[in-house]
Amino acid sequence: MIDVRDLRFTYPDGRRALDGLTIHVSAGESVGLIGPNGAGKTTLFLCLCGVLRSSPGAMTVAGLDPCDLAQRKQLPAHVGVVFQNPDDQLFSSTVGEDVAFGPLNLGLPADEVRTRVADALGRVGMTGQDERVPFQLSGGEKRRAAIAGLLAMHPEVLLLDEPSMFLDPRGRRELIGLINALPGTKLIASHDLALVRDTCSRVILIDSGRVVTEGKTELLKDAELMERHGLEAV
Amino acid sequence: MSLNPEHLAPRDSPLARRDPRWRLAAFALAIAGIALLHTPGPSAVALTLALALALVGRVPGRWYRDRIGLLLLALVPFLIVVPFTVDRGERLWEWRFLHLTDSGLVVAVTLAMKTVALVTVALTLLACAPLHVTLAAAGKLGVPKLLVHLTLLTYRYVFVLLDELNRLRIALRVRGFRNAMTAHAYRTVGQATGTLIVRGSDRAEHVAQAMRCRGFDGRFHTLATFRSKPADVVMFILTVGIVSGLVAWDVRG
Repeated sequence: MIDVRDLRFTYPDGRRALDGLTIHVSAGESVGLIGPNGAGKTTLFLCLCGVLRSSPGAMTVAGLDPCDLAQRKQLPAHVGVVFQNPDDQLFSSTVGEDVAFGPLNLGLPADEVRTRVADALGRVGMTGQDERVPFQLSGGEKRRAAIAGLLAMHPEVLLLDEPSMFLDPRGRRELIGLINALPGTKLIASHDLALVRDTCSRVILIDSGRVVTEGKTELLKDAELMERHGLEAV
Repeated sequence: MSLNPEHLAPRDSPLARRDPRWRLAAFALAIAGIALLHTPGPSAVALTLALALALVGRVPGRWYRDRIGLLLLALVPFLIVVPFTVDRGERLWEWRFLHLTDSGLVVAVTLAMKTVALVTVALTLLACAPLHVTLAAAGKLGVPKLLVHLTLLTYRYVFVLLDELNRLRIALRVRGFRNAMTAHAYRTVGQATGTLIVRGSDRAEHVAQAMRCRGFDGRFHTLATFRSKPADVVMFILTVGIVSGLVAWDVRG
């Protein structure tokens, strides 16, 4: 479902963010992507959803190459991204309008969009809150509204970047339940190793733009390995 | 005092139940008509009708008073100066080159009444429906969609940027900063403003990325749908009639 081979990416200022990264995530898998700050997690996500351009042929997501212009246009229907800060993602004036944004861009009829909006809000526990304004939502509600915006597009692949950021313990606990209930293939980038342990079946540790190691979530207990890469074992 | 602007939840009212397109067209016409007035009689009637409109629209009293208070505060310097700048009419008071005329006073009072009436109509329009509904109606009436959506995005992110400004102010205050007329204070405020602009630009980039990830191709779509009823047309015709009457009276008077 996600296939990345020897991916390299350098920012215009010369900073190399990805340096020969290779990962594979199968359909239906939930994989944690862990690593210290600046490891390249967010850059990888931006490459996977076609926002950052890398060399063609280096990756496929849901069978599409994000570097190919024609295929990149089809990506939003297949790949959903939850960004670190939900305020970046909730740009419409009401929750309902925001959840409808993606499906409307897919060219779906209004009735179908309304059904999807109601269904997506129901799945994140926000039924009937479509008239609320984003800046009045709590951190947890913003996160759930952002996830609803993706669910309404029915993506096969979900990329979640630091999903527990800005959440209190209860919001975090609710989020774990929500992530576990989400369908599809999930790649979750996080420093929150407890969240990764509770939501993923496999982890990939990256540092300096390269894969260090990957394996079952037992890897997260390896205190020495985690310490070496700026993380804390759980 | 919080720097955050207050978000208003619209109340149900006879005006709120009208089709937003007809309401917007009628109110825009009323605003244009009031702006044309320049005599005290029609201006006084316009102010009375605008206040009645605000009552019918169930505009929240405190919300309205706060805004009208600010407006009057901004108007005061003009209202003080105007009576001294009009030469025609009877001179009521004179001292060297300064003179106060009755015509000047009439102009100042008319200006105050017109302005309050204009702003009252605009506030009633804002109070009758969420901003996105009014702007969607503007889009349906032919206002360029890009302008409509830029306004919506601005409205959405004003709150986020003000939150960031509040955080910056607190960060400055807890480190002992007090605003004063000193070079250090000016430099600090300049740096804080720069930080805010850089953060705003950074956020704009993130928002653009999020929009592209959800299939945005430069065209905005909306779910808002509107339906006209006879009462909407009656309201519009009534507004046209009243505004035309006031303007005609003003022109003749």
